Amino acid sequence: MEKGLTVRKIVIAGVLGAVAILLGVTRLGYIPVPTAAGNATIMHIPAIIGGILQGPLVGMIIGLIFGITSFLNATIPLFKDPFIAILPRLFIGVMAYLTYRGIRNLNEYVAVGMASFVGSLTNTVLVLVLAVFRGYLAPGVAWAVAVTNGIPEAVVSVVLTLAVVATGMKIGHWGRKKSKISGDF
Amino acid sequence: MAREFELTRNITVGQYLPTGSFVHRLDPRIKLLACGILILAIAFCNSYGGNLIVLAFSCLLFRLSRIPLRYGLSGVKPAIPFIVILAVLQLLFYGDIASGGRVYLEYGLIVITSDSLRLVIVSALRFIEIIFVSSVLTLSTSTTQLTHGMESLLKPLGYLKFPVHEFSLIMTIALRFVPTFAMEMEKMIKAQASRGAEFGTGSWWQIFRRTKEMLPIIVPLFRVAMERAEDLILAMEARCYTPGGTRSRFRTYQTTFRDGLTLLFILCFSLLLWMYPFPY
Repeated sequence: MEKGLTVRKIVIAGVLGAVAILLGVTRLGYIPVPTAAGNATIMHIPAIIGGILQGPLVGMIIGLIFGITSFLNATIPLFKDPFIAILPRLFIGVMAYLTYRGIRNLNEYVAVGMASFVGSLTNTVLVLVLAVFRGYLAPGVAWAVAVTNGIPEAVVSVVLTLAVVATGMKIGHWGRKKSKISGDF
Repeated sequence: MAREFELTRNITVGQYLPTGSFVHRLDPRIKLLACGILILAIAFCNSYGGNLIVLAFSCLLFRLSRIPLRYGLSGVKPAIPFIVILAVLQLLFYGDIASGGRVYLEYGLIVITSDSLRLVIVSALRFIEIIFVSSVLTLSTSTTQLTHGMESLLKPLGYLKFPVHEFSLIMTIALRFVPTFAMEMEKMIKAQASRGAEFGTGSWWQIFRRTKEMLPIIVPLFRVAMERAEDLILAMEARCYTPGGTRSRFRTYQTTFRDGLTLLFILCFSLLLWMYPFPY
């Protein structure tokens, strides 16, 4: 994989960032689940996919875009704190990438599934740890949210990421790969 | 029912009210910097007095930028139930952690102290203030100005090999494609619905079913996104775009005396908030 940012990485980060913003501003980014919070977010999926396809840097940038969107659109006081809204989101794509790279040799699809599971849990755990640390939630409440919201969210994210990535792989290249200059993912 | 299909109408990314006020005419770099400093000051301000002053100041900001206050309030309105629920939870379960101050009520596990009460009220106020300040920023600055401002603010990071220009290009691409994808998604939802797909009909406890309902939209959405990306990559490479090259811009920003004065004022105001020991 090429070092630094190539045209391909810049564009894919931008485009997946746009998807993250879109999922955030419409209600489509939330899937109702039977928990206290009421919603499982799927807005972190572009960050996971970006991490899997184009490496940790792209994942981190999409995470940053997702963080900024959720900071600007937040309706819960928790996410109006830049430390909680932006900082944990940077690591979603990175963790997803590391997991994917670790298991890829075993089985491609298992690797993608595990990567999205880990990425989603990274989001939940880091957000809650910082929320407790900054004094928004009591530790007991945070544990309850982690179990009741984090697990369904991770399940939802595994299903969707696998569907999206598998479709891309089955069809062959993502879209018709037109450019002959930039490298493959 | 038809409302569910109208995605483009609800998108307020880059909503911008050109009233041409003093705040609008400020240099976007200065505005971003001042806004960041103010939000940091708010995040660290723990007293009732300080928070009330910031609240008054953010209302004054709306007045100064000639933006109706209801734009700010519309951001607060959907949050009210969350604020109330969170406040109750914090009030009930936070007593043993924020245990300083006077004890107002003690009943079994539930302890309400003056410290936990302060935490609840201050975090609600803080939330409203941050919504107000950030909506003044986004309503008085166009997205182009915002990304350009961010790029030149982050320029010092370039010495640390941080790809500042590339990053702002990514932000521009992302903002540019949001309305496009919203339109595509609207088309896809309509196409699926006309073929009998059902959205949002599963009960709220059927996680897998609700997720499955999303698949016919999410999968094509990513596919469309990647196809657009391929087109854009080809177009950029055909025009010999190289990441990391130096380039100049058609419009440049000039920082005036007025901008400096504003920044100085915000800096002093934030320092005052942070340092001054408010009695309450």
